[in-house]
Amino acid sequence: MHQLQSDDHAVGGDTPAAENVEAKDVKLGRSIVLTSGKGGVGKTTTTANLGTALAARGARVVMIDADIGLRNLDIVLGLENRVRHHLLDVLEERVEIDDALVADKRSEHLFLLAAAQAREKEDVETAKMQALVTKLRERFDYVLIDSPAGIEQGFKNAVAGADEAIVVCTPEVAAVRDVDRVVGLLGNRFRPQLIINRLRPQLVRKGKMLSVDDVNAILRLPLLGVIADEPEIIVTTNKGEPLALRTATPTGAAYHAIAARVAGDDVAAPMPAAAKVSLFERLGSMFSGARR
Amino acid sequence: MSARKIVVTSGKGGVGKTTTTANLGATLAKRGKRVVLIDADIGLRNLDLVLGLEKRIVFDLVEVAEGRCQLRQALIKDKRFEALSILPAAQTREKDAISPEQFAEIVDRAAEIADYVLVDSPAGIESGFRNAVAGAGEAIVVTTPEVSAIRDADRVVGKIAGSGKPIRLIVNRLRPEMVRSGDMLSVDDVCQVLSVELLGIVPDDEEVIDTTNRGEPIVLNETNRLCAIYEKIARRLEGELVPFTSFDNPSFLGRLMGALKAG
Repeated sequence: MHQLQSDDHAVGGDTPAAENVEAKDVKLGRSIVLTSGKGGVGKTTTTANLGTALAARGARVVMIDADIGLRNLDIVLGLENRVRHHLLDVLEERVEIDDALVADKRSEHLFLLAAAQAREKEDVETAKMQALVTKLRERFDYVLIDSPAGIEQGFKNAVAGADEAIVVCTPEVAAVRDVDRVVGLLGNRFRPQLIINRLRPQLVRKGKMLSVDDVNAILRLPLLGVIADEPEIIVTTNKGEPLALRTATPTGAAYHAIAARVAGDDVAAPMPAAAKVSLFERLGSMFSGARR
Repeated sequence: MSARKIVVTSGKGGVGKTTTTANLGATLAKRGKRVVLIDADIGLRNLDLVLGLEKRIVFDLVEVAEGRCQLRQALIKDKRFEALSILPAAQTREKDAISPEQFAEIVDRAAEIADYVLVDSPAGIESGFRNAVAGAGEAIVVTTPEVSAIRDADRVVGKIAGSGKPIRLIVNRLRPEMVRSGDMLSVDDVCQVLSVELLGIVPDDEEVIDTTNRGEPIVLNETNRLCAIYEKIARRLEGELVPFTSFDNPSFLGRLMGALKAG
């Protein structure tokens, strides 16, 4: 069998599951779709960072880019030059799964299955997608599926193989409306959990952005965590280095806390620290305090 | 004199298609043009929210397509402007509830009563995108200065270019201070990759989040700098030569080109 991955670490080679597929007591990994309805809220960034953080805990993780025709997960992970085969090559049985999995540069537990760039979402057969995810669950602890924006065929394919859903939402009316619609479409089967992304605490405090409570008063979903809007995200995304690699940064640490919660650890949902209060605001509150 | 039929699209979601459609439409209306905005994002409509018209929806795009009402009955007039109206998308239907031919016919009908018809495309390149592009005679591609958005925009430009429709580019959410520090792609970087005509550069402005949530397009606020910027874009669209603001140009291009080649 081909092993394009790291020399000494065959995919799934050291897990009993890979060798004993026929055994009925094989513990399947979890399959989680990351979706949102609205585009640009951070599905791909969240997938890359959650995958990186779960792998750092020692879990075996594969991330599937389901955005056929507009793939980006490879870029966010800095793996774009290593992609040789893609999801449709596997689904259409032109290559083995192992030939298409791209090993992450930094973690030997983390793999990417890239989307086809020159094909259409309608080319995917839903049943085959389900079968592929099941196969991957025999070998990996987590199968993370990065859904495309929208609720068309690409979304349906992304959801097809998943058992759980993480919905990513920004604190904006339009994003909340779209997430609400997606949660409705998902129904109860996926036990959707929420990540609120790109919160700007200063704007919330000024009353110019929805707060976590505002968002969840509408969505009413279990909250995995809240990620602050940081220019660093743009920089690290362009460079192909997920922020979760930097555990010392607040955002990196927040992704690790979310990963711990996904894994079932009893830790608090990460919240962005209240931003530094500016001198002007302090003066303002001092004066209003004096008047009171 | 027939109307201009322009699709606003991007590939990637969340780059500002809807905000651009609303603000450009409002600006054209302020300049005395008759403007119809069509929300093509069936199932995930948002243009109504951005304009604060969500409570006034009676009929929608799909109902017009199915002949259950007249176009004029479905159009919602934005009373803050002389002649701006929107045709909302259906919220509880699927994108394939309407065919590209039906969509093109509705755009043509809107064109009979307008100077500009702007079609707000959904993200992606699936059937919703194909509908949105079907009726348009030209395209505005919106991108942010991020590698992933540019890759998607490149894919969309490739899809539209074959049809011969003119394509113009708006670079949205530029943060000049990040460009200067080398942490963000410059407009020149973006234009070199996409090589389509530049229509406008819109800086990132946190006011937009708030005004969008409130349903008040930012161009209503004459004191906001974006008001003047959308004004320039509208004038360029009308054929005027209006100079661009320029920014420094550090090169992020190597990695970007690599990424696009890999695609």
